[in-house]
Amino acid sequence: MNLILIFIAAAITNNFVLTYFLGICPFIGVSNKLESAFGMGMATTFVMTLAATVTWLINNYLLIPFKIEFLEYVAFILTIASLVQLVEMFIRKVSPELYRALGIYLPLITTNCAILGLTLFVVMRKYELIEAIVFGFGAGVGFTLALVLMAGIREELEFADVPEPFRGTGITLIIAGLLALAFMGFGGLIGS
Amino acid sequence: MNNAVRMILVLIIVGIFSGGVLVSVHNYANPLIADNEDKALKDAVYKVLPDAKNFRKITKNGITLYEGLNKRGEVVGYAFKAGGFGYQGEIEMIAAIDPDLKELKGMEVLGSSETPGLGAEITNEPFKKQFRGLSVLPEITFTKEKATGRNEIQAITGATISTRAVVRILNKEIGRIREAL
Amino acid sequence: MSLFREVTKGLWKENPVFVMVLGMCPTLAVTTNAIYGFSMAAATTFVLISSSLVVSVFKRLIPNQVRIATYTVIIATFVTVAHYFLKANFPPISKALGPYVPLIVVNCIILGRAEAFASKNTVIRSLADAVGMGLGFMLALVALGAMRELFAYGEIFGYTVIPNWHPWAIMVLPAGAFISLGLLVALFHVISKKVKK
Repeated sequence: MNLILIFIAAAITNNFVLTYFLGICPFIGVSNKLESAFGMGMATTFVMTLAATVTWLINNYLLIPFKIEFLEYVAFILTIASLVQLVEMFIRKVSPELYRALGIYLPLITTNCAILGLTLFVVMRKYELIEAIVFGFGAGVGFTLALVLMAGIREELEFADVPEPFRGTGITLIIAGLLALAFMGFGGLIGS
Repeated sequence: MNNAVRMILVLIIVGIFSGGVLVSVHNYANPLIADNEDKALKDAVYKVLPDAKNFRKITKNGITLYEGLNKRGEVVGYAFKAGGFGYQGEIEMIAAIDPDLKELKGMEVLGSSETPGLGAEITNEPFKKQFRGLSVLPEITFTKEKATGRNEIQAITGATISTRAVVRILNKEIGRIREAL
Repeated sequence: MSLFREVTKGLWKENPVFVMVLGMCPTLAVTTNAIYGFSMAAATTFVLISSSLVVSVFKRLIPNQVRIATYTVIIATFVTVAHYFLKANFPPISKALGPYVPLIVVNCIILGRAEAFASKNTVIRSLADAVGMGLGFMLALVALGAMRELFAYGEIFGYTVIPNWHPWAIMVLPAGAFISLGLLVALFHVISKKVKK
């Protein structure tokens, strides 16, 4: 039950992009085509689940026992960077097809603040390992959802007559605002 | 110099430099941070237990309570922290209960991310003062009309979910305290 | 380019937020009022200046293959310093900014400037560039924070500007952040165009 709550909270009510503003760069950068948005979402979900697991282990078996929690940020960012590198090499070896689909998005993920944000939340909220994994997966699903929704809207937008100053970033931000407003309707889904 | 050796050397030096800086910052900041946290806790406890002159931390069966004492050293109540999910996110509170565990002495919200203008009213005085002297027997309830019962509070208009969350979190924690003492 | 131009380009022509669309996550997240926007920008500027300095001083010693890893460690170190400093001396601000201070590590402005500028230019120029970018970031965050604070509470920097303002709750919510920044970006484009003419 608790796990379902964590999943829903991460994916919908506290959507990473629309309530915590994490992962805005790819959200604005990669959301003009539905296909690439989906690919980016999948790659991010994969890395997020993995990162939540690995950083949980590092935090609980290395940083806390040795009382070196002040190394948290350095350790986490290096872990994420190496994880992304490993995943890239692994996928290239195992499935060239998957690599063609996800490969180009992987290097972008290291500087995606959603991943580091996720690992920091896991520490702050003192999740158990299994909760951390579900949280990471949920956050990835939420990220994909926001990205795909945005891409769907932006594909339609190509045929719209947007006022000149708003073209590009401006209108994208305003649409994101409307999406955030819509997602507020999901608030309270968990409290009751 | 061999490139690989140089790479490793640079990384080691950067690592040592970074570690050194962090250790010294940690040593400088930690006592200050502990002081701040201590002060924040003191402020919060004295706010919910205004008649306490002193308090001490007690742990019973896994529950942490702050036992408030007056000038003569008599127990005036227990302050406790409670938290749970509200409308948008976690609500963190501190509240105090009298020594007989019959009524609340006060409640403060330490952290929340409820909707400004609606759910965030839980942090405002009109809502909080309802908890002073509120009976917790058999448990706290809420109503959307004017509160009548001794154990009843009036919900915030437009923020029933936030109100319900506060009541639920407090009832749960009070139940745990009853069992523990 | 003169040193002065190196500083001012970050303010307007290459403004990190309005033109380059970098560092959006803290820009949107902490700007519920002008003070938080200012604090966040100050912390980011500190990290930006320190890491640009270190990178440009040691640029010849850092091997190409491990440069990103080295930059990242340097940045993360300064971020931790900033985080502990705020937590020790300004606990309310540290609490309000929450996880967004550690997230400066992945603020693309900083790694971007280290990679694109500090690793290729002299120490003085890198310093000028970092100061300029920091100020540009501050301009954006304070503008957005002031705008949201004004419409949300009728205040700027905590001072009442419009008495008896009926609060617009939307402005402190995520939706308000996106919409306000969208409007500011559009405004920026309009002004830039006017200036060019």
